[in-house]
Amino acid sequence: MTRAVTGLTPLMRDSRIANETGRSASRLFLFSLALLCFVFAGPRMDLAQDSKPDQTSAGYVPVLSGAFAYIQNSSGGVQSLAPQINPVLLVPMGKSLLLESHVDFTGFFQRRNRTSGDFTGEVFKTIESAQVDWLADSHVTGVAGRFLLPFGLYSERLTPVWIHNLQDVPLTYAIGTHPYGSADGLMLRGVAASQPSVNFQYSAYFSAHSSIDQLPAERAAGGDGSMFFPAARVETGLSYQRSLEGYQINNEAAYLTWQPQSFEINLKAEYDRNHYGDGYWIEGAHSPQQFFFAPRFFRRFQLVGRMEQFFVRNGGGHGLSDVDEKRPEFGVNYILRDDWKLVSSYGRLFSSNGNSNTWNFGFTYRFIWPLWPGKRS
Amino acid sequence: MRYGNRIHWLALPIACGLGSAALLAAIGQSVPASAAGPKTRPDPAVEGERIFQQNCSRCHIPPMVLNPRVTGTIIDHMRVRARLSRKEQQLLLKYLAP
Repeated sequence: MTRAVTGLTPLMRDSRIANETGRSASRLFLFSLALLCFVFAGPRMDLAQDSKPDQTSAGYVPVLSGAFAYIQNSSGGVQSLAPQINPVLLVPMGKSLLLESHVDFTGFFQRRNRTSGDFTGEVFKTIESAQVDWLADSHVTGVAGRFLLPFGLYSERLTPVWIHNLQDVPLTYAIGTHPYGSADGLMLRGVAASQPSVNFQYSAYFSAHSSIDQLPAERAAGGDGSMFFPAARVETGLSYQRSLEGYQINNEAAYLTWQPQSFEINLKAEYDRNHYGDGYWIEGAHSPQQFFFAPRFFRRFQLVGRMEQFFVRNGGGHGLSDVDEKRPEFGVNYILRDDWKLVSSYGRLFSSNGNSNTWNFGFTYRFIWPLWPGKRS
Repeated sequence: MRYGNRIHWLALPIACGLGSAALLAAIGQSVPASAAGPKTRPDPAVEGERIFQQNCSRCHIPPMVLNPRVTGTIIDHMRVRARLSRKEQQLLLKYLAP
């Protein structure tokens, strides 16, 4: 190998040494990954067989989950069609490791001249997450890879198309998620203390800079902490993120959810703030469970209302509007089954750039498909 | 039309009212039910149902039917996403796939 290397020009020699070093590093990385899987996945499977008191009939086969959706939007008189497929692949490895991958394919089609002509557009592909979850302890889960940023209520929990009640994201959505919505790095999360009266949940993460195609991320660090009161069904939390790239800024959010059983209503509210703006949204959703007429039919309706405002700071931009805006929005959804949902909503955006109406109609379908016939007991 | 840098006149009272009511409800109902009477070992399936009702519907409509083959994988996923403890995960499994 030494002779071969000495016969090359210095530049080629450096390049070859670098390639060999890279190959060695790759082999070392793969070996480490295999060792990691063996250490954590192998022994845990044995442990699972011994722990008979905890055994259930639950299967642990790989799963393809996710949603299909088709949303027709009219905003300011301009029609757009948005078919979506969001598959989520889940592969358990032993009792403590879970591989997750979430990809988003969203088509965006508009008329060629915005209001006339044939529909044209493209399909956007995004890798939302590709992560390894290590269920290390009752209170700690380690996450490595690409993951959705846990910021506020919307980013991680309500983003899936089959979950959110209104199809338009809040005006403040870019705070804490701009520009990619996902991070490449490490995260620790879990429940710090779980009592019958209150749960303390947390997550803390670091994201490295990445310019890899389909896996872009910005250097940032942050965390989220929340308290959940199970008896009252109240949750309140705070999120913080420090952007560590370019002009370093703080992103902050405070949120509250409440599901009072006596009123059959689901309330959510969030306040977000960063250098470029701040704002809030308040959303309520109600399903009449005991309607006096045809209750079986009417309990599948979901009435939704949301009010939100955004205020510009320092010129705005960076994913946010550059003028103050506010938007009341109303929606009526019909849950055909727990996996099929018809959605519709109307909102009016009040902005110094011009007021406009926004209409959304469509459907969502959630699926959970096993990818393997057997089950592990 | 220019909107000043102030919160809409309806938003502040709504937010304050919502927050106060929610926190009062949380404080008022934060005493565990078991504290009122003699301690009995709760049924894991009942406990699992309670955790299911309390946690799943915080974000989405809970599934009415879940294939037993995928239950373990899905609950692992939800343990990560919903930040559940191992005990809560086990109780959910007892409830959904006894």
